[in-house]
Amino acid sequence: MVSVINTVDTSHEDMIHDAQMDYYGTRLATCSSDRSVKIFDVRNGGQILIADLRGHEGPVWQVAWAHPMYGNILASCSYDRKVIIWKEENGTWEKTHEHTGHDSSVNSVCWAPHDYGLILACGSSDGAISLLTYTGEGQWEVKKINNAHTIGCNAVSWAPAVVPGSLIDQPSGQKPNYIKKFASGGCDNLIKLWKEEEDGQWKEEQKLEAHSDWVRDVAWAPSIGLPTSTIASCSQDGRVFIWTCDDVSSNTWSPKLLHKFNDVVWHVSWSITANILAVSGGDNKVTLWKESVDGQWVCISDVNKGQGSVSTSVTEGQQNEQ
Amino acid sequence: MEELDGEPTVTLIPGVNSKKKQMCFDWGPGEMLVCETTFNKKENSETVPGCPFIYIIRKDIDVYSQILRKLFNESHGIFVGLQRIEEELTGKSRKAQLVRVSKNYRSVIRACMEEMHQAAVAAKDPASGRQFSSQVSILSAMELIWNLCEILFIEVAPAGPLLLHLLDWVRLHVCEVDSLLADVLGSENPSKHESFWNLPGNTQTLTELELKWQHWHEECERHLQDGTFASSPHLECLCKIMLGDEAALLEQKELLNNWYHFLVTRLLYSHPTVKPIDLHFYAQSSLDLFLGGESSPEPLDNILMAAFEFDIHQVIKECSIALSNWWFVAHLTDLLDHCKLLQSHNLYFGSNMREFLLLEYASGLFAHHSLWQLGVDYFDYCPELGRVSLELHIERIPLSTEQKALKVLRICEQRQMTEQVRSICKILAMKAVRNNRLGSALSWSIRAKDAAFATLVSDRFLRDYCERGCFSDLDLIDNLGPAMMLSDRLTFLGKYREFHRFYGEKRFFDAASLLLSLMTSQIAPRCFWVTLLTDALPLLEQKQVIFTTEQTYELMRCLEDLASGRPVQGEASAQRLQEDLENTKLEILRLALARNLARAIIKEGSLEGS
Repeated sequence: MVSVINTVDTSHEDMIHDAQMDYYGTRLATCSSDRSVKIFDVRNGGQILIADLRGHEGPVWQVAWAHPMYGNILASCSYDRKVIIWKEENGTWEKTHEHTGHDSSVNSVCWAPHDYGLILACGSSDGAISLLTYTGEGQWEVKKINNAHTIGCNAVSWAPAVVPGSLIDQPSGQKPNYIKKFASGGCDNLIKLWKEEEDGQWKEEQKLEAHSDWVRDVAWAPSIGLPTSTIASCSQDGRVFIWTCDDVSSNTWSPKLLHKFNDVVWHVSWSITANILAVSGGDNKVTLWKESVDGQWVCISDVNKGQGSVSTSVTEGQQNEQ
Repeated sequence: MEELDGEPTVTLIPGVNSKKKQMCFDWGPGEMLVCETTFNKKENSETVPGCPFIYIIRKDIDVYSQILRKLFNESHGIFVGLQRIEEELTGKSRKAQLVRVSKNYRSVIRACMEEMHQAAVAAKDPASGRQFSSQVSILSAMELIWNLCEILFIEVAPAGPLLLHLLDWVRLHVCEVDSLLADVLGSENPSKHESFWNLPGNTQTLTELELKWQHWHEECERHLQDGTFASSPHLECLCKIMLGDEAALLEQKELLNNWYHFLVTRLLYSHPTVKPIDLHFYAQSSLDLFLGGESSPEPLDNILMAAFEFDIHQVIKECSIALSNWWFVAHLTDLLDHCKLLQSHNLYFGSNMREFLLLEYASGLFAHHSLWQLGVDYFDYCPELGRVSLELHIERIPLSTEQKALKVLRICEQRQMTEQVRSICKILAMKAVRNNRLGSALSWSIRAKDAAFATLVSDRFLRDYCERGCFSDLDLIDNLGPAMMLSDRLTFLGKYREFHRFYGEKRFFDAASLLLSLMTSQIAPRCFWVTLLTDALPLLEQKQVIFTTEQTYELMRCLEDLASGRPVQGEASAQRLQEDLENTKLEILRLALARNLARAIIKEGSLEGS
């Protein structure tokens, strides 16, 4: 049973394009065509505007929170071709870095698993993907993958961090050798998997082909300790695929069709324990899907926008204690 | 769970009804976000402005109910207790103990029901009053179902005692109606019944009982035929009822609240020695007769029917669909699993149904700011995915206070979740630095074994010292112990403080050697050398000669290195150092060193003691 427990009035003057909860669910970041990025404190059913960040010169498409161990950091990307990284310093939010390396709208930003450091992947309509790595003292190193997708890249999503080889404790203080990977989806109807080589360069490791139109979103599922890797993808062609790779060494991915929708599917995202997939479609709905006993994906809930009264419930004790 | 038979539930989010707008969605750790948007970026913002609202929605709102909280807390205790005694449950006493556990659960439900009822009565507005009342009904239904499951699956009452249990069951839940006939239908006869069967310590066999009953039944029949009750239609009706005449029973429908009351009454008078496997025949016909084709069975009816059919999986499935949270099915399934009643059902998420349900329930608890602690124990008892689920959830708990953070850490450390410990310590270290609590930041970085962060914090300490001339958090730095080795900068910080201590304790020779070693061993950052050399001044100015000639030469060399601005790889630029080392300071140092050298030479040149 799903209930609306809080309604946050963002006062955005134009269309909202993205809203993201922070790691703990205590803050909410939103971005809009009105070129602003706003941050709210939403603890205990309240809403307090913490920051109204201006800096973009066009509609802002996505926001992404970095892992709290790096502080309070938020990335945003926009039609203005820029990626801005904002940071909370001494209680106030400020722009801490601006990345202008793209020739066209930047559509998607995604932070890498915290184990890798502070790294941001950005996908742009100019077909390139750039990777920003924080090297300390306000410096960011940029690596660019040109022509990652012809026509444009719409989405990037990192693979969860898995230590290769033995999973037994590394000697303390020593950084384990992670194999960094991420997935991208583009206007060439492809999903590509990228891997960082030993020399630090990024190489295309795999192409996943199944969609017949632009790939709008990719989401790599969080790891639940099984050797299987899972990626969800959705496309202009109305299809959502679940890709699974049972064994890292074999690296063969097999797609399973979750569902064919009647309209474009724009976004897919995994719950934090990877057992539910949310699909946002052009049919004005968000549907939630779960894998059933026999491996079939079943729709468990339909969150539908529409008219109707809000079914708030008596939620005692929600407003107080801490 | 297996396939859903029905359509998924649709939740409507209020908003501007527009044909062109979609919904954007995000997962929070406990909640979900939705808002209206247009994904097709090519379209210009239309004349109709977008809806500026973001809706935060939650799946398991029951978690926040004050009254249900007691249910969660107390059942948690029962659950953990059950897991722990599992090994001890053997032989005959096993069943008795499991029944006891079941009764404990039920009493917790009843207590909660009672409290909820009080709340309903005391409610200030009718809406919340209704809310509470509906919760009472739900809890009552849960207890009804659980009780029946206890009788059929856990107690596994055989024919004979089965009916008595069912009578108790019905009486407990249904016969709250105080009416004379109800008494007759319910209580009077059972007592006659009990004495008839002479329980407890019943030594009669089932056959003997049956025979006795038959005898009694025939006698009743005879009375009816003979017209003994002809004068009183009331008594005649009663007699018919006692003979199990369905029509007569149905005439009293208003007193029979529901079909299962009807069922048990029927059985009492017509088939008191009913066997468990035959129950469902009577149940089905009772249901059909009672409803009489006027209404269809409700979810509760289907669940009870499934129980009568001994279809445990169906019971669990139907309950999962009908109830709004996982509490009931998780605990009941776990208990039934302990009774070894569930076949292994292979699921991707959780290797069996028990684990699946427990995982769902525990995940729901994590949405609550303090009930999450209960969730930890549930995850602990899920062998397949419990640990990884705990890892994923526990990282998301807001560390709003130091106490909470320590609690979370303790839980992680107890389970050797080193990655999570490290990650949490790093987060806390970062938070502390931002709030300028350097001591706290340092101890967190040490606990996280984060060398880089320790270096950063140590640098801050040193910078603070340079600015203010004193250290904060002396206790911490003085007692670093082996943790000092985590990073060079930290080691330097610890040793530098030690230098100050030596000086304070007038252990000048120790202080001097330490100072020199700090400079020559390369662990002192270059930018700090000026401070170190300045620190050497009081030692150089002492009446007694402290630095030996060798040491003095070393110091001089360091000074000249610094003055010449020879850059060292990775250190601050030469130019900055030059600026630091103003000429006056340089001169003072050179003078002091020279003077010391002179005195040292003399001292060393002289004979000892002269």
